[in-house]
Amino acid sequence: MRILISKTNLKMKKFIMLAIAAITITVSGCKKYLDVTDPNAPTTTIYWKTSDDAQKGVNAIYSTFHRAGICRWYFFATMIRADEGWSTSPDANIQNNFDQFINNNYNYGNFTGIWNDLYVGVNRANQVLDNVPAINMDATLKNRLLGEAKFLRALFYYHLATLWGNVPLQLKSSTPTDLPPTSSQAQVYAQVEKDLTDAAAALPASYTGADIGRATKGAANALLAKAYMQQHNYQAALQPLQSIIQSNVYSLVANYQNNFLSTTEFNSESVFEYGNALNPNDNHDDDTQLAGEDNLNYGSSIPPFFAPRPIGFTDGQARRWPIAEFEKEKTTAGGRDPRLAATYLFDSTDVRGPNYTIIYGQTFASRYGTNDPDVWFRKFLNDNNGAATGDSFHSPNNYRFIRYADVLLMYAECLNETSATAQAYQYVDQVRQRAGLATLSSVAPGMNHDQFLAQIKHERITELTGEGHRWEDLARWGDLGPQLQTRDAGFKNFVKGKHELLPIPQQDLDINPHLKQNPGY
Amino acid sequence: MQCNPPRTETSLPLKLLLMTILLLFNLSVFAQNIQVSGRVTDASGQALPGATVRVKGSTISTVTNTAGHYAISVSPTAILQFSFVGLTMQEINVNGQHVIDVNMRDDSRALSEVVVIGYQTIKKKDLTGAVATVNTVDASKVTGNSVAEQLQGLSPGVTVRNGGAPGQQSTIEIRGVASFINSAPLYVIDGMIADANPTINTDDIETIQILKDASAAAIYGSRAANGVVIITTKKGKKGEPKLSFNVKYGSQHIPKKWDVMNSTQYATLKRQEFTNSGLPVPASIGSAFNPGINTDWQSLDERAGNDQDYNVSLSGGSDNTTYLISGSFYRDEGVLKAYSFNRESFRVNTETKKGRLTFGENMLFTNTNNYHPNRGNAFYDLPQLLPTVPVQGSQFIDNSTAFGTMGFRNPQGWSTGTIDNGGDVTYAYNSLAVNNLSQGYNNYAKLVGNAFAQLRIFNWLDYKFNVGLEASFDYNQDFRKDGIFSYAAQQELSYIDQDRERFRNLLMEHTLNFNKTFGVHSINGVVGFTQQSYYRDATDARKTNLPIYNGQYLSQINAATGTSSASGSVIQDDKLQSFLGRVNYSYNDKYLLTASGRIDEDSRFGPNYRNGFFPSVAGAWRISKESFFKAPWVDDLKINASYGVLGINTISSFQNVGLINNAPRAVFNGDAVYTGAYQAQLYNSNLHWEKRQETNIGIDASLFNNRLSLSASVYKNIAKDVLVNQVLPDYLGNSGGNPPVNAASISNKGIEVEATYRDNGHDFKWSVTGNIATIKNKVLALGNQGVGINYIQQGSTRSEIGHPLGQWFVLKELGIFQNQAEIDNYKRNDGTVIEPFAKPGDIKFYANPNGAGTLNNNDRVYNGSPWPTLQSGLQFNGSYKQFSVNLQLVGIFGLTIYDDIRRVLDGYQNSNFRTAINPWSPTNTSGTDPRLGIANGDAGIANNNTPESSRWLENGSYGRIRNLEFGYQLPKSLAHQLHIDNARIFISGQNLLTVTKYKGQDPDVTGNGILQRGVDAGNWPSSRIYSIGINCGF
Repeated sequence: MRILISKTNLKMKKFIMLAIAAITITVSGCKKYLDVTDPNAPTTTIYWKTSDDAQKGVNAIYSTFHRAGICRWYFFATMIRADEGWSTSPDANIQNNFDQFINNNYNYGNFTGIWNDLYVGVNRANQVLDNVPAINMDATLKNRLLGEAKFLRALFYYHLATLWGNVPLQLKSSTPTDLPPTSSQAQVYAQVEKDLTDAAAALPASYTGADIGRATKGAANALLAKAYMQQHNYQAALQPLQSIIQSNVYSLVANYQNNFLSTTEFNSESVFEYGNALNPNDNHDDDTQLAGEDNLNYGSSIPPFFAPRPIGFTDGQARRWPIAEFEKEKTTAGGRDPRLAATYLFDSTDVRGPNYTIIYGQTFASRYGTNDPDVWFRKFLNDNNGAATGDSFHSPNNYRFIRYADVLLMYAECLNETSATAQAYQYVDQVRQRAGLATLSSVAPGMNHDQFLAQIKHERITELTGEGHRWEDLARWGDLGPQLQTRDAGFKNFVKGKHELLPIPQQDLDINPHLKQNPGY
Repeated sequence: MQCNPPRTETSLPLKLLLMTILLLFNLSVFAQNIQVSGRVTDASGQALPGATVRVKGSTISTVTNTAGHYAISVSPTAILQFSFVGLTMQEINVNGQHVIDVNMRDDSRALSEVVVIGYQTIKKKDLTGAVATVNTVDASKVTGNSVAEQLQGLSPGVTVRNGGAPGQQSTIEIRGVASFINSAPLYVIDGMIADANPTINTDDIETIQILKDASAAAIYGSRAANGVVIITTKKGKKGEPKLSFNVKYGSQHIPKKWDVMNSTQYATLKRQEFTNSGLPVPASIGSAFNPGINTDWQSLDERAGNDQDYNVSLSGGSDNTTYLISGSFYRDEGVLKAYSFNRESFRVNTETKKGRLTFGENMLFTNTNNYHPNRGNAFYDLPQLLPTVPVQGSQFIDNSTAFGTMGFRNPQGWSTGTIDNGGDVTYAYNSLAVNNLSQGYNNYAKLVGNAFAQLRIFNWLDYKFNVGLEASFDYNQDFRKDGIFSYAAQQELSYIDQDRERFRNLLMEHTLNFNKTFGVHSINGVVGFTQQSYYRDATDARKTNLPIYNGQYLSQINAATGTSSASGSVIQDDKLQSFLGRVNYSYNDKYLLTASGRIDEDSRFGPNYRNGFFPSVAGAWRISKESFFKAPWVDDLKINASYGVLGINTISSFQNVGLINNAPRAVFNGDAVYTGAYQAQLYNSNLHWEKRQETNIGIDASLFNNRLSLSASVYKNIAKDVLVNQVLPDYLGNSGGNPPVNAASISNKGIEVEATYRDNGHDFKWSVTGNIATIKNKVLALGNQGVGINYIQQGSTRSEIGHPLGQWFVLKELGIFQNQAEIDNYKRNDGTVIEPFAKPGDIKFYANPNGAGTLNNNDRVYNGSPWPTLQSGLQFNGSYKQFSVNLQLVGIFGLTIYDDIRRVLDGYQNSNFRTAINPWSPTNTSGTDPRLGIANGDAGIANNNTPESSRWLENGSYGRIRNLEFGYQLPKSLAHQLHIDNARIFISGQNLLTVTKYKGQDPDVTGNGILQRGVDAGNWPSSRIYSIGINCGF
């Protein structure tokens, strides 16, 4: 370089010096130059340190309720597949997969959507359970948050167990290389029981203020009982149910329909609800879409899919046969069972018939005439104030997953199954009396086990139709089968030993050879 | 389309521009003695008009007239340079002569041609690696949005697939695909590493070189593994200012429509379908069928589009400075209504020498506007839409005002695929409603350029400091009006969404170039240090409820009265720094050796994985120079071989760390909303360089007085640690996209042959160039994809070890069941009836005889490949006196395409029918399509329509007349009368004819990502374009 400089003029020297300086500066700045941090989001290494992180982590689990698989397609899998519902959707895939037991595409997106969203919830709960224990924070709050996470993980696995049965058990935060084996339905239920037992011990009986809607001890016990009952372990279910009843936290609300109004959420009968709200700007259900969180759905998708046409698309609607169940008995005042009008929109939602029945601001007759046999599920629509002329795409009306009435009927069923039929009457009576019906003790005393079970089946139809429990009831009672085609034609394709469970998504089977397809698929 | 002589009718802006140039470049003028004249002829003795005669070392020059004559006033001691494109330049000492006649010979052009190979230019004959030089004259004849679109068929091993939409970039792959994420090559424009997307004016391009092998590309190290396209833009040349003006206007047409039914045909067949299924016929096609409604959706949304391309440039230079200034306007009005693209661009390239210093810059400013609907894909929707449904109608008007309390606001009464409840429905978007209701607009204002200072330290050593900048200011608008366009979709409020982004790509390079000859030894090369950084951020704002006054929307955020929402982020922040070097050694022009390498450090990898070293070596042997080589008909014969390792990084910023996502929202206490946060997207922390080992052996020959040139190469590339966006199982609960992982190894091997024959010895001069290439692609390993699993599944494709990437893995159609007995007898070995649900007329699928149960996903088999076995191109150029012709052919053979539109149409549900279907029925047992029926509740039909089936695969081979152009060069005498130096008019037809069995609109599909490259889900078909144009120079 020295020789070179001596040969050049002054300008050139300056230029060379500048160039050397430039090289030196840039080369020496190398290490720092390459350290780029993401200004958009905290990294996992700095998260899970504070009480606030723990609470947000738990909130994220609840947020899963508004994802499309759970806020929309879950109801097709439980209500439309069961004999209480059916589909007249012009979309053959919806009809075939959800109503007709024609499932030839194991990657059918609306099934995999439910599966994926349930596991999104599981992964969220696992992250809380893995990370929150190490956070230095108030011990009571920490205990409660861990209890909520366990409750919610159990809730997602409960749905996986009832819908798919034999599924992989993810109990730690997911990593991309996890290749778990299939766990049997019994193993999945065992995990649900374990988590719920822990959760019941950790959770408070109730909340106040901003925390209303979080999982409670009662919710954990009720779900625990459901898990036991699906396995016919009625004996084990007694204790948690009893503890709910004895807690004196819950009571039936006087007006049955208050269980289904957006204005009467979290009432005394509510054991666990999926908290919903309306976001007037919503245009998507992906609660991890960072650029669109202002437009995120916070509610359920029931109205557009289940509401009467043309308010909704009627991709899912109700079968007519249960109406006869409601009409079997009159109230003690001689009227019609008030639950019928709260359950269905049909030509006689108003007992006086289609000219008086109001369907979203118009009479049934003016919309559909007087001979239309269509029936629609009403409970989670928003027409029930009578003035609504339309509905929202996403509904702020909470999904009442577990009501105290359900708990009472479950308890009665367990007592009957454990040879305590006589003791069971009083719990059924509470439910019947709220509906204005005579007590069972007075109209059908002294039933044997089978008679009482048949009565329970009737009681559950009249009390709980259109709330997403029918599929589990039929499965528990062993009533799923092609014989149901007399009331729901789709069951003609039902193959016993196969269609009790959905097909495991083919994509997951293709990736993980440790997984097994369900029998018959 | 006028071409006015500037001396008489120069427009004001042009005058200003000329004056500016004249002021900027104070041209020195010599005035000297004697008059020299003469005649210039070509090899055959014909007069050569338009040849340049220049005084060496000055700006004085002239051109020969139509008779080949010239006259010039020069110093008696001057040296005259005679030049003509394609012919060897000659220098003649004037030595006091007054008449100098010159006979110019054919250029052995292929050999003396200089190629840019990255930080260096070398003579093409000295190449040791695989570098293709694209004939930019052929390329420029094709109307295209981007460079890539013009390259189709011009170079073997360069696969171009066209998108077709206005402003859409073509997909280009060099020597196959070895990446699962990104197979786009690296573009280097005048030394600046920047994407040659549709924002770049193709008319500015002077040369294109494609670096295909490791040796050629290694100097670009980590970004070179998909090949490098080096673009050099036009530069000014020493001499008088030259003004050139090019105009081209083309009319665009859709070459092929879907032949679907009219409303009467449709209603007839649809009634039949409902009847076949024992279902009541919906009123819309039955009792209330109105044959007066017969909507031809395709015709309503399609139109004759057009292309317009205007370019003007001024160039010239003195001894010390050259300059080129160009301006262009390009407009592409697509064949679909509501789609258009336009680009205005302005370029300044200058270079100035002062003593040992050279300073130069290449600068492009472009402004592009792209208008398009923001929803749906009309090429997918239009054929499906029902002819029985009107586009719009008062019966559909719904003027309800409040969202959230009422159904579906539809003030303009757009139809949404159904006209009666519970009847006949399509879910396809009403494309004409979309055009009106969802208006997208992108505006990119972009500067791309570089400036350099070069210092000649010694005659053999240059130092160069190069700074490149690409800065883009992007605006993306989504304007949504009130109304609906599809059945069963969520209502949206009207809104305006404005997204503003900034992009910056900054390059700094220091390089030392050396070049020294010692006797028979010649050595040259480059060493350098570079840094490059990319940064993009975005701010997005949206507000709902746009007010309407007098039927006009106010479309700005301040005018909206609803709820506003905002988002913003740093999308990209990547940095790269590298050390590079290359040495070329040649012994007596006979033995050539190149060694090169690059060390890259990339911020996208964690600190422990950042460094990558990418070396290569190459050698060549010019056999024709050996004394033992005695074949006078061989002008040049060279073989070469290379091996090297290239790197690749296809991941985006911030993917090597786990991030917390705070989008979740919980609802408690009535309707109160609370923020949730957790790690939504899984990640792999040990991401590192994907590396590609490349071997290339090539041969280049020039024969028969350079009339025939041949080049051939074979190559094998093995990609290791390939970055894959791993398809994760859903049970992981991952959300936010599949994370990358270094998971696979892929090999690509192939043969490329190119031959050119030219005959310039007669009045009819012609040349023909043909190329063919094969690409064989194979997955070698899949790393940690799982235990006992050797494939990646995506949709209907499977990439398995030992097989090519993305093979079709589907149920295989065997035929149609003719009767119940066939169905009953179609059993597995264990006696299970395979398709018990089928009825006569349903599809019989292959089932594994040893399998279990009824037909299921375990019966899927491989069925064809989306990879062509042979790709070819042919270009013919001929000229006779003033006339010229250019013909370009493209042929792609041996591939299978998944026709996703036909899947919908031939599924017979929720869509119109193709007229060509031939459904089986008891009275039409020779029917080749399955029976007609409604799939709801019919497992047989549901099975016929299963998406993962060979029913939707079609032969995608095609041959195409890519371009045919006829040109006419105005005679000089006429041109001069018009005060024009030269002028040429031409007409051309692009995509004139396609021969194919493919049933869709265009077999040239870009696919759905790399693994589903053969999926046609409404690919925009390449338009047929009839163009007329004129080029003139002043």
